[in-house]
Amino acid sequence: MKSHKLSILLVSGLAIAAAAACGTDDSGNSGNTGDKAGAAAGSAGPVSISVNCEPPKTNKAERATFEEDLAAFQKLNPNIKISKVTDAFPCYDPRTFEPKLASGELETVFYVNFPNVGRLIESGQAADITPYVNEIKTFKDYNSSIDLFKKDGKVYGLPTDGYGMGLVYNKEVFTKAGLDPNNPPKTWADVQAAAKKIAGLGPGYVGYGEYSGNNVGGWHFTASIYGRGGSVITDDGKKAAFNTPEGKAVLENLHQMRWVDNSMGSQLYIDWPALMKAMAGGKMGMMLGAPDVLISLRNDFGGKFENYAITAQPEAKALFNGGAGYMINPKATPEQIKAGLKWIEYKFLTPGKGQFDYVRAKGANLTVGQPYPDLYGADTPSGQAVNELRKANANIDASQFAGWVEGSKGIPPKAEPGPYAQEIYKILDTPMSAVLTRKDANIDQLLSDAESKVNSLLASKG
Amino acid sequence: MTTASIPAAGGRRRQPTKLRRAVRRNVTAYGFLCGALICFAFFSWYPMVREVILSFQKTNFVDPPKWVGLENFRTVVNDPAFGPAWVNTAVFTLLALLCGYGIPFVTAIVLNELRHARAYLRFVVYLPVMLPPAVSVLLFQWFYNPDYGLFNQVLDLFHLPGLQWLNSTSTALISLVIVSTWMNMGSGTLIYLAALQTIPSELYEAAELDGAGLFKRIWHVTIPQTKLILLVMLLLQIVATMQVFIEPYLLTGGGPENATVSVVYLMYQYAFNFGNLNAGNALGLMLMIVLMVFSAIYLRVSRDNTV
Amino acid sequence: MSNITVMPDRSAGAPATSARHERRGQRRPRKPINTQFRTAVSPHQLNTTRGRIIYWIVLVIVVVSFTAAFVFPLYWMITGAMKSTEELNAIPPTFLPSHFSLDGYLQAWDLLGLGTLLGNTALYAGGAWLLTLAVDVSAAYALSKLRPALGKVVLALMLSTLMIPPMVIMLPAYLTVKDVPFFHWNLLNTPWAIWLPAAANGFNVFLLKRFFDSIPRELLEAAEIDGASPGRILWSVVIPISRPILGVVSILTVVNVWRDFVWPLLVLPDSDKMSVSIGIASLSSQMPQNVLVASLVIASIPTIVVFFLFQRHIMAGLTAGSLKG
Repeated sequence: MKSHKLSILLVSGLAIAAAAACGTDDSGNSGNTGDKAGAAAGSAGPVSISVNCEPPKTNKAERATFEEDLAAFQKLNPNIKISKVTDAFPCYDPRTFEPKLASGELETVFYVNFPNVGRLIESGQAADITPYVNEIKTFKDYNSSIDLFKKDGKVYGLPTDGYGMGLVYNKEVFTKAGLDPNNPPKTWADVQAAAKKIAGLGPGYVGYGEYSGNNVGGWHFTASIYGRGGSVITDDGKKAAFNTPEGKAVLENLHQMRWVDNSMGSQLYIDWPALMKAMAGGKMGMMLGAPDVLISLRNDFGGKFENYAITAQPEAKALFNGGAGYMINPKATPEQIKAGLKWIEYKFLTPGKGQFDYVRAKGANLTVGQPYPDLYGADTPSGQAVNELRKANANIDASQFAGWVEGSKGIPPKAEPGPYAQEIYKILDTPMSAVLTRKDANIDQLLSDAESKVNSLLASKG
Repeated sequence: MTTASIPAAGGRRRQPTKLRRAVRRNVTAYGFLCGALICFAFFSWYPMVREVILSFQKTNFVDPPKWVGLENFRTVVNDPAFGPAWVNTAVFTLLALLCGYGIPFVTAIVLNELRHARAYLRFVVYLPVMLPPAVSVLLFQWFYNPDYGLFNQVLDLFHLPGLQWLNSTSTALISLVIVSTWMNMGSGTLIYLAALQTIPSELYEAAELDGAGLFKRIWHVTIPQTKLILLVMLLLQIVATMQVFIEPYLLTGGGPENATVSVVYLMYQYAFNFGNLNAGNALGLMLMIVLMVFSAIYLRVSRDNTV
Repeated sequence: MSNITVMPDRSAGAPATSARHERRGQRRPRKPINTQFRTAVSPHQLNTTRGRIIYWIVLVIVVVSFTAAFVFPLYWMITGAMKSTEELNAIPPTFLPSHFSLDGYLQAWDLLGLGTLLGNTALYAGGAWLLTLAVDVSAAYALSKLRPALGKVVLALMLSTLMIPPMVIMLPAYLTVKDVPFFHWNLLNTPWAIWLPAAANGFNVFLLKRFFDSIPRELLEAAEIDGASPGRILWSVVIPISRPILGVVSILTVVNVWRDFVWPLLVLPDSDKMSVSIGIASLSSQMPQNVLVASLVIASIPTIVVFFLFQRHIMAGLTAGSLKG
């Protein structure tokens, strides 16, 4: 017995010693990433950076244009060397982000989607680029999407893709249900009526599809309540602000469609591809979504592109802003930050170059004409240049997007609800899944429960 | 291996002392163990130690980590889903034990009796383990659909009322248990089959001569002879099902209304979606302690000192 | 191996006897049920008329129900890949694809470069299999039969690795792979990043140890008196007897490596080093559903074939008699 205890002590002692030894190894190592060493080696020599989000091999045309841009950019900037390009997809994977950051494997320039921007800034995981942004020619032309990347007057990244919410619908399903595909719903009452007719087409038809789990439920609740003029949290970010008539209207509308009209089907959609696949399946009438949904239905989900259209979000008072952008590795040197921003500028922000090289895109048979990325104010030089190029090279039917473009004009965008958006979305999943699964759901109770949970969450964050 | 075998051959003639024999046995044993010790030390134990450290820190992997005491633990304990997650996990484990533990053993006994289609049946039982979970998920989403799903159609055939399955807080967990049992029973069945094949046939013959019927033979020969494996598998299964994640993650997204949020699901949310890896680590550590205490008690109660 | 007597006549059993029966069966349909394996059911009862009727009823029920429960998904998956996206989402689903076409499969093969991915995965799974067997079997043998000092502690520590959800230790494990303590090797993008962690499998060690525990001591002592070294005993006595559980451990290991995707996603970032599960997982959210299903079918075929080929050899034919020694 004695020896038994002794042996445990011995082993745990060994383990701790080993851990301590290894711990020091790591800290010594992480401060000295390859990139930094390369940059420090000579300020006159080339700066070495790495970038991510190369389109995957499956996406041949876009991958080719990306590689073209890589070569052209390095030719244009002989002192910048892009030493590593990764093509892992999805470009931002929360499971690999922190391990890569911790080990120094994270790319100098990394992609991030809007819902994660706030918390990366909050936790100091993105470099401060404020001193360098004025070197970017188009920076001053940004619309409000840049605000998401700002905190306390500092800038931590650049949006490169952006769009406001709308209502995506299937024209073919509309026609089948005796609805006019060129006159989509303008109010939520219209949506309800249309959904009821579509569901009446027979088994499998779903009038209106909505998310209910894995945080996407809360995400779409946010989009819906923004549209009705409500908010999720107060402006100072200290309290919940969704237990209001607007929040109630969102849930009551869904409850009505699900249980009174029976127009939402009984399948629960719990992640982004789930609803997309259902939409591509051709038996779903409408869903809340941005114009990128149409392109994604075409390119990624095998939907019949010509059947889909997007119109403005009904009765919209504000549009939830979706999109993505790039940030810089917080361990990057100033030279690397400058080089990284140059790359972002070349690839994503310059009209006529990179993603805005619509002539090339048209030649490569990529879609041109979709009204996004929406990065610049409409009357700024960059905004006008992009719009003209887009119009001149359009190869898709603009009418599929026309309702959205026209209907969304002048409606202000609204950003993610703060750095704890994902936590809040998780809490809001509950009322969403409740109204979609329980006929007797008590909406007032659900909202006030969620409200107190969000309040205590925000209080604990201080 | 060779260094160990030389003294072993010569030692017998020299009549080594007890101590020398013990030393030699230990050297040989650790020779056999060294590969595993290295693998475990680097890729399991050392990361576990770091995991424990991380759960008492706050770090963004850029600045040096800060020690924060129990703050991470406080964060997860105060999460409104914390309580439900443990309850759901416990209920899931209990239900999974009722189905997932007995069914593979009974299946293995039946398969062991059959003299035909043996290879086919073993293959078939193991198929779901080999299928990618994504396929199983697509399939069960259709099976469970309350309006058009196969299960409700079958119930309708027998004039029984349909169920809401994944869509109801009361049936969502049991629906996940069914999927989980279906997906995982292949491994258990194979392990039990392997165990059944090591039972000496004389024992059955002897039991038969004593006049024991079929069920008596199973009770007095099969179960005692496989007891070691049954006890181990019970423990391993509880430990594994307490970590249920993939089923709620893929099929219900924790819903409806948090009815299927499990401890590991919550941990995943913290570690990856909420960007609070330290809190995720704290929750993981809590689960580990619970499982370790449970295992220690289990091994003691099962009065099995061979571990 | 021959001097240890593993009853070659029985261990060769299943395939040979069943083949014999098939041949005989054509001439004489009412053959007696093969009772060479002695199990719980008495062979005498089994070959009475009543025993036979029950046996065949049970057999038919088992075969039919198992086929329905477990083969149907496979069928659904294979035909699903032939359907269009719209048909795949149809409710209620169609049981036969409306038209037969292999386009989905061809598209999946081309799009993903499945050939390379499958080759990589075979390398990862094969290496992990060999290393896991070598490491875990010798560890379990040492713990079970050589019983070193601190053996219980070592086993408890190995068991403890099962108590922690793998994703919690993923980050520290990744840092280890990036820079192995003391050696300072960077294993990223090498097969070792898959092989070494795969071998650190507490489940396997624990399971193997328990099987080895059930091997009668006399058997090993007999070999020891014959002057066999521990290594020789492991190779010639323990391993032959343990073939069924070695088979199970092999299959579990290969399938695990084949299916795992978060870990390979981290440690094999290069697209030409990727395993098939990462390839599919990372692209699953941006391809048509039928192509996704097709690639899943193609990806699962190798494991299914390997299992089908090996399980006969590994699991069949070893009966209780082999323990008599």
